[in-house]
Amino acid sequence: MNYLLHILIFISIYSILSLSLNLLVGYAGLISFCHAAFYGAGAYISTLLMMKAGFGFIPAFIIAIAGSVLISFLVSLPSLRLRGDYFVLATLGFQIIFFSLLYNWVSLTRGPYGIPGIPQPRFFGLQIESMGSYFVFAAVLALFCGLFVYLIGNSPFGRVLKAIREDEVYTAALGKNVMLYKVKAFALAAGLAAVSGVLFAGYMRYIDPTSFTMNESLFIISIIIIGGTGNQAGPLIGTVLMILLPEILRFLRIPDAIAANMREIIYGLLIILIMRYRPQGIKGEFKFQ
Amino acid sequence: MSILEIRDLTKTFDGIKAVDSFSAGFEEGQITALVGPNGAGKTTLFNLINGFIKPDSGEILFKGKNIVGLSPYRIARLGIGRIFQDVRIFNRLSALDNVLCAFNDLKGEGVFYSVFLRWKMEAEERYYIQKALELLKFVGLEDKAGELAENLSYGQQKLLSIARLLACGADVLLLDEPTAGVNPQMVGKLLELIKDLAKSGKTLIIIEHNMNVVVEVANWVYFMDEGQVTSFGLPADVLGDPEVRKAYIGI
Repeated sequence: MNYLLHILIFISIYSILSLSLNLLVGYAGLISFCHAAFYGAGAYISTLLMMKAGFGFIPAFIIAIAGSVLISFLVSLPSLRLRGDYFVLATLGFQIIFFSLLYNWVSLTRGPYGIPGIPQPRFFGLQIESMGSYFVFAAVLALFCGLFVYLIGNSPFGRVLKAIREDEVYTAALGKNVMLYKVKAFALAAGLAAVSGVLFAGYMRYIDPTSFTMNESLFIISIIIIGGTGNQAGPLIGTVLMILLPEILRFLRIPDAIAANMREIIYGLLIILIMRYRPQGIKGEFKFQ
Repeated sequence: MSILEIRDLTKTFDGIKAVDSFSAGFEEGQITALVGPNGAGKTTLFNLINGFIKPDSGEILFKGKNIVGLSPYRIARLGIGRIFQDVRIFNRLSALDNVLCAFNDLKGEGVFYSVFLRWKMEAEERYYIQKALELLKFVGLEDKAGELAENLSYGQQKLLSIARLLACGADVLLLDEPTAGVNPQMVGKLLELIKDLAKSGKTLIIIEHNMNVVVEVANWVYFMDEGQVTSFGLPADVLGDPEVRKAYIGI
């Protein structure tokens, strides 16, 4: 039962990550390689506030989101002026810088030692202790985030993001402030990723920089490439698939050391097959070109 | 007073004057054609007017205000719209969404409004969908509203781009070869539309290579060659000018 709850909690955490990244990739057509950085920003900011500054869960949660949004401006304002591949490279650069900071700023983050003993979420007199209650907590947050993304996606705002994806130059010629839309989309995605980060830290009760690496960013991107982008169903399908897939290996009784490598191979193979035979993903409207 | 006035506009690319001290005035409700050989600077002129590139010198006065240096979206908001030579439709959006994207000042384009004031946003949407459908009807695409734009024929895409242009509410419309690549029946329809627009008070500037089209719709013609205006006047006069015939048609 706990095993099942564990998987469901991870599906909740990753569905927020994939749905928020989809706002950038599937709607605005901006491929970002630094989603794990915002995920990590959420986890580290909330953890440090609670453990070093004595903040309660709710204030730490809110400041983590706000902090992640602020960091997104640091990335988006300089790099969104870049087009296409150059933007992708800029996000990649930021991801690497952010990881280096987490890893090397030992006095603040404890670097590679990580931070153990993160307090469980406690708010309004509720203490989220058991796996079951944590699942309910994660699922409710995922539901709210999903609803939020759905409402944004299906609105004139989402429509303009799609127009930017289709033809940025013409969108500007129609009178839209393209840069502002992109900055907003980036900020929303970063804020939502921070929610996942807080959920992750509260669940694992231990964080270290290796959870928020370049590989993690790639993993989130592969979720939406495989599931499909530009709507909400694609990323959700991708999330469930990518979380469950490695679990199958567990049942095949493959030793852990091999299973870890097998997982990478399966992910890689899956992406190659999807790109070759179904570039829009399992259920997507946006083909990667 | 001209709604759009251009004074001594010059743009140099690598030492070559693409647009060379171009001056012109465009009156409300008039259709002006820009003609001339390839590389004469016509499209560059459009790019200068809507802000994609900045001139080296000169002024562009729109309703008396100099718009040089403003970003393209601000110029569009002031009321200068454009369609491109290649249609630049939003392919994977429906025809209706293509038009809806072009309306400006929708409150629903704000994040807060679209999430927390959803019911107001939806009411606003209904109003604009109605307007968009009227525009689609105006260009004759009312039955294609739900179709993805990439599935429309080239001529229909051109019509859609005009509907989109109208939705953005511009007073001055820059049309870059609106009839190029469109089948003959569709050309007639496009020309009717263009004339209707002028009648309704829009100012149109058209880049056009088809002389029959120029003679049929244009009130004024500028002939450009190597960035300069070499001839200006009524269509029949300009196209009858021996110099123009020599430069353009080679006879």
